[in-house]
Amino acid sequence: MKELDHERFFEPFIDEVDGVACVPAFYADADITRIASPLGWRFPLILDAEAPLSAQVAASFSAPSSSRFGPYCDNIVGMNWELPDRRRVRVGERVVKSTTGYDIFRFLLATDGRFGRATEYVLRLRPACDGGGIVFFDGPQDSLESAAAELMHSCYIHWLESMDWLTTGPKSGRLRFGIHCPQDEWPLFLMHLDGIAKGRGLLTTVTTGNGQVFDGLPDLVLKTTPDRVISLARETAEYPGVRSIALCAPAVVHVYLPSGAEAATIVKGMVGALADSLYSLGGGWQSRRLECPLFGADEAEWIKSLAKEWGLAA
Amino acid sequence: MVIPTTLRDRLLRKIPNIQALDSPAQLAGYDADGLGYKRFAPDLVVIPSDAAELARVVAFLHRERVPICLRGAGTSLSGGPVAAQGGVIIHTSRLRAISKICPEGLWCEVECGVNLNQLDVALRPSGLCYPPDPSSGPVCTIGGNVASNAGGAHCFRYGVTSNYVLGVEVVMLDGSIRRFGGPAGGRGAWREDWKRLMIGSEGTLGAFTRFWLRLTPRAEKAWTFRATYSGLPATERAIHALVKHASFPVAIELMDPRSVAMVENSAMAVGLPKDHFLIVAEIDGPAELVDRRAEAVARVLRDAGSADVLFGDDSEMRAKLFKARKAQGGLLGQVSPDFLVQDAVIPKRALADLLGLIYAEAERAGIPAVTVMHAGDGNLHPNFLFDSRKPGDLEKVETISKRLMRRVLDVGGTLSGEHGIGNDKSLYMGMVFGPSSLRMQLAVPQVFNPAHQFNPLKVFPERRFAA
Repeated sequence: MKELDHERFFEPFIDEVDGVACVPAFYADADITRIASPLGWRFPLILDAEAPLSAQVAASFSAPSSSRFGPYCDNIVGMNWELPDRRRVRVGERVVKSTTGYDIFRFLLATDGRFGRATEYVLRLRPACDGGGIVFFDGPQDSLESAAAELMHSCYIHWLESMDWLTTGPKSGRLRFGIHCPQDEWPLFLMHLDGIAKGRGLLTTVTTGNGQVFDGLPDLVLKTTPDRVISLARETAEYPGVRSIALCAPAVVHVYLPSGAEAATIVKGMVGALADSLYSLGGGWQSRRLECPLFGADEAEWIKSLAKEWGLAA
Repeated sequence: MVIPTTLRDRLLRKIPNIQALDSPAQLAGYDADGLGYKRFAPDLVVIPSDAAELARVVAFLHRERVPICLRGAGTSLSGGPVAAQGGVIIHTSRLRAISKICPEGLWCEVECGVNLNQLDVALRPSGLCYPPDPSSGPVCTIGGNVASNAGGAHCFRYGVTSNYVLGVEVVMLDGSIRRFGGPAGGRGAWREDWKRLMIGSEGTLGAFTRFWLRLTPRAEKAWTFRATYSGLPATERAIHALVKHASFPVAIELMDPRSVAMVENSAMAVGLPKDHFLIVAEIDGPAELVDRRAEAVARVLRDAGSADVLFGDDSEMRAKLFKARKAQGGLLGQVSPDFLVQDAVIPKRALADLLGLIYAEAERAGIPAVTVMHAGDGNLHPNFLFDSRKPGDLEKVETISKRLMRRVLDVGGTLSGEHGIGNDKSLYMGMVFGPSSLRMQLAVPQVFNPAHQFNPLKVFPERRFAA
């Protein structure tokens, strides 16, 4: 069998049939929309309207629309990657499904830049619809939580673009739903949500649009289970000035610190208080403000072994 | 590799009650997987009773320096769970506990030998499901599914196994037990997300014993559609339109006319035109949403050029509409002594090109080929029917496979979408990875299993165990 004597790379493209596109990692939402929208596609996993995609991927595993489409690693299918020694490789594919070799692609995507950086991403796009909007529920906290639990356990959760708990204080919050759907289905979504709210005495506020929300890049991201995500968001909101958003289905809490705060110090304090309970469930944390430490001698040894081949500094 | 006959005795001295098989009759069932024509006899089969015992077995075998291969139900189609270099197969059939179902947290904890149907039955009362659905669901194990990152007909929308694995418990080569992730699906205390390398690693990095899986609410209602097309252009129009349709079909399945004819010429005939392509599609979700969408999906199928569109929303109708597609897999073993199923994933616009190549090459070689496809994902399964006892047949099939894979890579596709590489496609890996990416790939087993004692000669041909 003839061996490949050169590296293969992804070239920028958009495939209208498959709904995949290769774009530079510095592209922001508007750049992606510009090429995808005329062909009827969109890339919904956007945290921040202005930030480059690489910064968004480095900031969190998930975006609000991960509720419907899963985390970044299931919506980016390949990338060109530059190793620390400047070698470039391609990882992943331009097709949406692959079991060819070890899944280095998903591993690297979650490394927060420790093994190099992405230069181009291959995005899995989704069909763009012409309707939707944002719905808020406000009211008694236990009623809001029971509404969230009911939706999490109904198959509507597959069709809501996002379902997020927004803290408004240490003990209070509101529910936010993003919906992206064909115009003629929007009334069905409204009717369903309205039914859930009315049965619990909750107030609804509705704005039409495309269901997309931009919360910005979180300072700290916590991963837990869906049944604990709202209480975890509440816990983080007990820190002065902190605002948190619980992405209910992905079970991720995005924590936003007040501007001018000593970010690394606050993050360190929060992680110190929460890490053990997160780890006990196989959860975890990541932060663009603080590097995660290695976990013991085993992990140090494994990293050392990878480093030899992957061009890492010793 | 011939291992010392005393190995079994030493193992039994170390772990007195372990079930160990070594007579030829006992070993016969372990010499192949679904790729039945490639046979490799193990020297010993060990069946641990639980994860702790499995860990002791691995530690013992590691010290004894014999190849170790993990095996679940053996339904792999890529030559994965076979003793390609001899040695010991560890059969996980007794690790079948569903340890916990947490409906509030939408996760469950299962041992590696649990099979998909067993899990589905256990989950039904909670209204939750675990979506990956490979065709071997009634018998295949979760361990095998995770090892090969299995897919299935409904993964176009719901995703493949890796989308649902929250955590993995792994017995490492030295017998130590590590957990990567857990119910919350994060990294745990590890800095890196090691479970990403474990999933789909085909038993080459460690022995999986336990998983934490993400669950999701069952769909309230489904509509199933069947449409036939006289030509490929109309079929492609239908697939392309469905992929982009706002109803987000959960499944878009394709059978080529040769597959349809195979079903129609059998006792499983369902009355389809034999010279037509067949699309079977499904949408699911809340009743009020899918009821509204059903007619629109039927219109897409008609507008693409089918005058023969049937659809329905009850389970009897669903079974009837899916019957031809489901019958196809089972018939292969009845109509041919051997078959080889390929598993390429291609950009969908290359379908005509690839089918043309398959038909031309198969015709030239005199090898019957029937093709089915998870069309939504572009996951193409050409099945080559042959007789490995007939001189030259196997070589012909391997030549066709090689040319097919070359073309798949040229059009931007990949070798495998859901079956894994095993020892069936390992020789093609050199066509996929350039020098730097190949080094990166081979660095992964170097970390966890440097001598390739776990499942040697799988995934990469370089992975030979040197005792």
